[in-house]
Amino acid sequence: MEATLDSLMLGFSVAFRPDVLWYAFLGCVVGTLVGVLPGIGPLSGISILLPVTYGLDATKAVIMLAGIYYGSQYGGSTTAILMRIPGEASSVMTCIDGHAMAQRGRGGAALCISAVGSWIAGTFGVLALTLIAPPLAAFALRFGPPEYTALLVLGLVMLAYLSSTALLRTLLMAVLGLLLGTVGIDTMTGHFRYSFGMAELGDGIGIVPVAVGLFGLGEILSTPTAAAMAKHIAPRLRELLPSRAEWRQASMPIARGSLLGFLVGLAPGSAHIISSFLSYAVEKRLSKHPEEFGRGAVAGVAGPEAANNAASTGAFVPMLALGLPTGPVTAVLMAALLIHGVPPGPTLVNDHPNVFWGFVASMYVGNLMLLALNVPLVGLFVNVLRIPYAYLYALVIMFCIVGVYAVNNSIVDVWLMLIMGVLGYLMRKVGLDPAPLVLGLVISPIFEMSLRQSLVMSNGNWTIFFTRPIALTLLLIAAALLALAVLAMLRHRRDWRTKLAEEAAAEAALAESSPPR
Amino acid sequence: MILRTDHVIGAAAMAVGVLVLALSGELPIGSLSFPGAGLWPKLLALLMIAGGMALIAGAREGEAFSAIPWSDLRHAVPVLAIAAAAVALYTTLGFLVSIALMLFGLTLLKGRLLPHAALYGVGLSTATYVLFTMVLKVPLPHGLLGF
Repeated sequence: MEATLDSLMLGFSVAFRPDVLWYAFLGCVVGTLVGVLPGIGPLSGISILLPVTYGLDATKAVIMLAGIYYGSQYGGSTTAILMRIPGEASSVMTCIDGHAMAQRGRGGAALCISAVGSWIAGTFGVLALTLIAPPLAAFALRFGPPEYTALLVLGLVMLAYLSSTALLRTLLMAVLGLLLGTVGIDTMTGHFRYSFGMAELGDGIGIVPVAVGLFGLGEILSTPTAAAMAKHIAPRLRELLPSRAEWRQASMPIARGSLLGFLVGLAPGSAHIISSFLSYAVEKRLSKHPEEFGRGAVAGVAGPEAANNAASTGAFVPMLALGLPTGPVTAVLMAALLIHGVPPGPTLVNDHPNVFWGFVASMYVGNLMLLALNVPLVGLFVNVLRIPYAYLYALVIMFCIVGVYAVNNSIVDVWLMLIMGVLGYLMRKVGLDPAPLVLGLVISPIFEMSLRQSLVMSNGNWTIFFTRPIALTLLLIAAALLALAVLAMLRHRRDWRTKLAEEAAAEAALAESSPPR
Repeated sequence: MILRTDHVIGAAAMAVGVLVLALSGELPIGSLSFPGAGLWPKLLALLMIAGGMALIAGAREGEAFSAIPWSDLRHAVPVLAIAAAAVALYTTLGFLVSIALMLFGLTLLKGRLLPHAALYGVGLSTATYVLFTMVLKVPLPHGLLGF
């Protein structure tokens, strides 16, 4: 514990350097803007700005990019509450009761509860990350290739199990991502795979063109017009403070949302989205007045907002401690660290303590910055939505092209981004989630390498995965999850995921159909 | 029989799997004790085919493919065409010219007045060029005209 505190102090000495503070601030501002603007998610925001960090050291780069990620969770709630437009997918649940509160003249209070709840959850998440990540990293040092293979299998199965779309569809997307990850030189034998004589594909398909194409351009192609010009309810500054009763109603949902969000954040998948849906369902079930949900229940804002922020912090634990991304955002952050020559994983804490602890400490500071930014300056951020869509979408496409080209100065990457944009558009049409594809692409080289290394070290004996206790435990958990999902499928029974998705969709549709007063 | 989205996704997944297998002909599978470069992609391709088949087999319910609205193609196709033209000209004409033209085209497409679209295209591309090359020191392609 003492060693952790000492290390955290080292982190604060890094995080409080004026230049580092500046980049954390920049990340938080950009993140809030990304969250406010519909159509630009945190993933596109981070991917597009990745090349901008090339001139920075690894610490500043990851601090700024992470600021964009958790900043977007704060920003997304602003438009959800004031305009009933989720700036970010995880804010869908906040639209329902947040906007209802705004219609009753309590928009300021909803914003304040959302910001404070986000801050408490974010800080709780960082605190848990501080305590959990270093011992987890130390434990992961015992992992050899078979354990990593088993962990990746579990990760993929968990991703499919927790996904709101069908299990088979999610797994297919993940396999497609794994397949894309095989393009390029095979590091073990030197064979060129599927590069069709193009030198640019020798290093494989980069995550940035794929992520920007699927999420950035794909979103723009499927959005002919933005509903962003809808009227918003402007909160007055004196209305920002919630009443004592509202604080009381918010306190327990914030606490539950923080814990639930952090735990969900540890698992692979779109944790920040799932956690807000789960938190809403939990609060509604626990409430003495469930009939108030949908009509401006404070718990319906406090819980989901706390949960999505805690989840975004929780997602950093496997990334930092195990070197495993649990979602596309952490995958891009991992890529950013790798570009700067800092491999995330069990050795990060010891080999690059400045980066690890500086990053952790910056999140404490960043959450405070976001609280200060989001409460008084809310009106300013909402004004961004007055930019006509005709200008906004053109701007996003320009940044997609510039951002992708700047990574490797490769026009092939930009073409790839356009192709991925079309794929992203088609995937949205048929209801496929692009996130597992990105995740598959990132883990493919690690997955293949650990699988082949395991087979080489066991002289071709595949039972190596079942004779090592950690690997066996991980595989048994994966098998149990898979069995549960398959059982539900065979019985054609709606399991908790289907029910949750249906419930959430019904609530969101209800919120969408009720006209603003 | 109603064609459902699961049928289409399943068929596409099978096609990808078959294509990968066809392209992997020369990649060696190796042995279990020393797996070759072809083992992993071929394994994944087989999984794609199996997954596609399973999806088709279980596609009794779910959304009908004909129910998908395609009206937004009127937006997506021209946007993609303009962006693709800009990318094609990106390294030849350079950042400033190609992006200014793209921004002009995209804003015009959404019904903005010609002078507004032109001003936006030139102004934003110049500001971005200055920001990236001079402030952030991120190089952008120079075209035939040298900028």
